[in-house]
Amino acid sequence: MRYAYFPGCSLETVAKSYDVSARLTAEKLGVELTELEDWNCCGATAYFHIDEILAHTLCARNLAMAEKTGLDVVAPCSACYKNMRETNTHLKKDPELRDHINIALKEDGLEFSGQQRVLHLVDIFADDVGLENIRKNVVNSLKGLRVAPYYGCQILRPKMGRENIENPEFLEDLISVTGAEAIDYPLKTECCGGSLIMTKNPVALKMIKNLLKCATDKGADLIVTTCPLCQVNLECYQKQVNRKCGTEFSLPVLYFTQVLGFALGIPKDDLLIGSELNSPAGLLTRFVREAC
Amino acid sequence: MNGKRILLIDDDPDYVYAVKTILEKANYAVRVSYSPKEGYAALRDGEFDLVIVDVMMGRGAEGIIVARKLKKDRELKKLPVLMITGIREQTGFFFIGDPRHETFLPVDGFLEKPVNTEVLLNKVRELLHSEQTVELKHEKQEEEP
Amino acid sequence: MTERPSFQKEVSNLMSVLDGNPIDVCIQCGTCSASCPAVEYMDYSPRHIIALIRSDLKDKVLNSDTIWCCSSCYNCTVRCPKEIKITEMMYALKRYSIWKHQYREGTIGPAFSGKFVRMVVKTGKSYEPGLAPTFMFRYGIRGMIDNMQMGMSLFNKKRIAIIPKTVKRIENFRRVLNRIIPIGVEK
Repeated sequence: MRYAYFPGCSLETVAKSYDVSARLTAEKLGVELTELEDWNCCGATAYFHIDEILAHTLCARNLAMAEKTGLDVVAPCSACYKNMRETNTHLKKDPELRDHINIALKEDGLEFSGQQRVLHLVDIFADDVGLENIRKNVVNSLKGLRVAPYYGCQILRPKMGRENIENPEFLEDLISVTGAEAIDYPLKTECCGGSLIMTKNPVALKMIKNLLKCATDKGADLIVTTCPLCQVNLECYQKQVNRKCGTEFSLPVLYFTQVLGFALGIPKDDLLIGSELNSPAGLLTRFVREAC
Repeated sequence: MNGKRILLIDDDPDYVYAVKTILEKANYAVRVSYSPKEGYAALRDGEFDLVIVDVMMGRGAEGIIVARKLKKDRELKKLPVLMITGIREQTGFFFIGDPRHETFLPVDGFLEKPVNTEVLLNKVRELLHSEQTVELKHEKQEEEP
Repeated sequence: MTERPSFQKEVSNLMSVLDGNPIDVCIQCGTCSASCPAVEYMDYSPRHIIALIRSDLKDKVLNSDTIWCCSSCYNCTVRCPKEIKITEMMYALKRYSIWKHQYREGTIGPAFSGKFVRMVVKTGKSYEPGLAPTFMFRYGIRGMIDNMQMGMSLFNKKRIAIIPKTVKRIENFRRVLNRIIPIGVEK
């Protein structure tokens, strides 16, 4: 199993733990992630606000570079995943746009022809590796840990070929394989606010508060995410939410690769568990020590 | 009317009104299309001597796609294309407007918005005149054995 | 002679040509509003915005904060019974608003997106500290302190880069972008 790995801008900085844990966990399960050479930003949402054609061009460059390697693209960030998947679909359906963008890509010796698939990192583990293979490799059972499975929005929407986007279960399945309990989390597909945390901070804080409250009310010990924007919003802004909304949340938020990696026996320091801002180290470390 | 027909493809109704007024006052016949789709339809059922096309329309820099399409078309590639760009004004980006770009962009001339009346009319005259030169060249070639 | 387009026609022209139905077919059922996680914070709900567009009330639409409260979660789009790409309509309205410089005073979105795009043109990657000036000082003193405190904490956890990263083939990259739209990098 070899893939062209597209980390995305956040994974080089604020979501470094996602990048590190993704690579270690993949390696443990026999998945080869080859970082796409010279990848560029996917454009996030900002590019669509200015010029959609330019936005597609950014993604097309990455896809064309992946084509040269002959590998499918895997993205850990839901926004990157959605952007590149949508560009892939758009350019395959619109020859005029595709030809136009290919004239531009020639300047970097590239050409897009839509051969590659675009996958989210979760899909690699849930589908390609398979739950049984993962279960066989679990050495630290997380039995007793109550985890809220948070999908967020762009891993599911717009419709990109997934069967069940209203009530998906693939993240719960991955969590269960570690022995942990994936709790019922009704807001699991609600948006965290994304970049509104910067451009419309009060609105995003309320959206984050709703998500944290639901997870806390349902008895979660921690929230697991599949996107760096979600993780940063839910985790790094907990303090601001508490101050503004008079709440007292202190819920750890980890990437699914960190939880999975730990269950597979990778040391928690290697997975950069502990690089969060406000996680109650006491609760998590205690549990983690018990599991060891 | 001086017999010259201009097609104006631009999505900004206010700007279109202004440019149309200027050109009509200079005795050009002007037809307006508010989107590339309408523009292609107009080119299919009308005859023009010059196309003026905006850049930022629709999804983004659609005007560049329009200009490329015209230059690729066997029938339409002789038609001079004047690009009027509001890129700097609309997006705040630094627009590379130097002459080097005349060859980079698939157009015969470009102007930046907002456009001064005299500058616009001079450019239109220049492009219509050069189209006549192209026509003469073609005629001459036909004469020679 | 083509008629001056209505605002509805202008918006339709801005939306992608593929898939989806035009906003003309909206039945005002309100499913989009009911699905929107940010609707309670918006001036006008998504449904209401479509009604305003169809009534040619352009200024009301552009002066509202609705489109800038949209986080592109696509809930409305996947649930719309008439298959209208509402999120795409929001993107189209944002583009319209930015190109025409028509938005409520104090809206952060346009400056933020503009800075983001320029940053990526310059280096090929996004760099969060570079974006901070567009919003850091817009939420009062308390907001500024909050952001700075968070920034420092993240820095201590080695989660902030000091130097922005750049794509290796940056000259080629910029030439690729120039073929789409001839923009450059401020010196």
